[in-house]
Amino acid sequence: MSEIDSHTGAPDDDLLAAEYVLGVLAAPDRGAAARRIERDHAFAASVAGWEARLAPWTDEIAPVVPPAAVWDRIAGSLPAQKAPASSVWENLAFWRGLTVATGALAAASIAALVYFGTAESKSPLIASLDGAGRHVFVATVDPRRATVLVVPASFSPEPGRVPELWLIAPGGKPRSLGLLNAEKPVTLVVPAGLLPRANTQAVLAVSIEPPGGSPTGAPTGPVIAQGKLTNL
Amino acid sequence: MDLDANRSLLVAALGRVAAGDRAALQTVYRLASAKLFGVCLRILREQSEAEDVLQEVCLTVWRKAGDFDAGRASPMTWLIAIARNRAIDRLRAGGRSRRMETIDVATEVPDTGTPADVALERTEQNERLQVCLGELAAHESSALRGAFFDGNTYEELAERMNVPLGTMKSWVRRAMMKLKTCLER
Repeated sequence: MSEIDSHTGAPDDDLLAAEYVLGVLAAPDRGAAARRIERDHAFAASVAGWEARLAPWTDEIAPVVPPAAVWDRIAGSLPAQKAPASSVWENLAFWRGLTVATGALAAASIAALVYFGTAESKSPLIASLDGAGRHVFVATVDPRRATVLVVPASFSPEPGRVPELWLIAPGGKPRSLGLLNAEKPVTLVVPAGLLPRANTQAVLAVSIEPPGGSPTGAPTGPVIAQGKLTNL
Repeated sequence: MDLDANRSLLVAALGRVAAGDRAALQTVYRLASAKLFGVCLRILREQSEAEDVLQEVCLTVWRKAGDFDAGRASPMTWLIAIARNRAIDRLRAGGRSRRMETIDVATEVPDTGTPADVALERTEQNERLQVCLGELAAHESSALRGAFFDGNTYEELAERMNVPLGTMKSWVRRAMMKLKTCLER
């Protein structure tokens, strides 16, 4: 283990790993380092090495038993049934890696061919929903099932606000597809009337809304991310 | 507490969490939540926020238990890293760390070791780390403490210690490399 740790990556990379684990990076650099862990094994090993070095420092922190209500909240918020770990479509690391490396789109295309077959008119569409220079969510439309799978990439939730997904066809008003989750992939049903508009002319956007979603049926909060649908 | 027994229990429980066993997550919670909550509270300094982050930590464990590799990391190290990361992410989302008092190295009690009353589970690894931290200059260990326990960024540390940003970066980077060299001796 120590041999692996001491020989992984360039010295600069090991310093970046040290800075990340120490917690000294400001938000943009921290986010970039976190995304790199998902796609760069040598960097991830450097990070793990620093985690092992620094974790004993927390011996100085006295344990504090959390209030009993916290466990109840956790138990209540677990998904009803855990998705099979083997499903690449639910695998966050896979999608995070994909959002970072555009070259990975080719690999995803192959996966999509295997997964969806080759029916052309029903082929899946993908959109990287970007904002402020970051990939915030990744959305994949499966026309055959009339669903859209939305995976969080670097979304930072705001307390008391929820992200809502919108489909915007050329010349059309934004139509809500439902609420997203900051923590995990969400599969939303695309209403039959909207499905034909979910094509490469359309844009998906995410706005920040009050709990329960926009009260008006149109985005009321800031649009934090958007992206064009493209063929996978 | 028997640390080895605890470790085996945690490793077994995380394996069952990866397979979707809710009761196993409760076992992990029973064994680790007080430590993880302490870590969240220390960084966030606010009870309800620490509770929220502990919940996020548990959901992350539920989702990512399959990534834990007992051959590569200790379960507590893995869990503590998740808790620290989530707590620091929350600090960054809020814009500023909670602890911003001036650090004056000249008047500060030097960090020559952990006071006995707070070192509740002093381990061999902690002893070694304390030795190596003790070899750092006072300003270096103060800066590392501010980052590790208060979640300060470079900019915040520079402000707290009243030095230019570039100076702070070189202090921290040099101190981390010294620490690594010492720990590998």
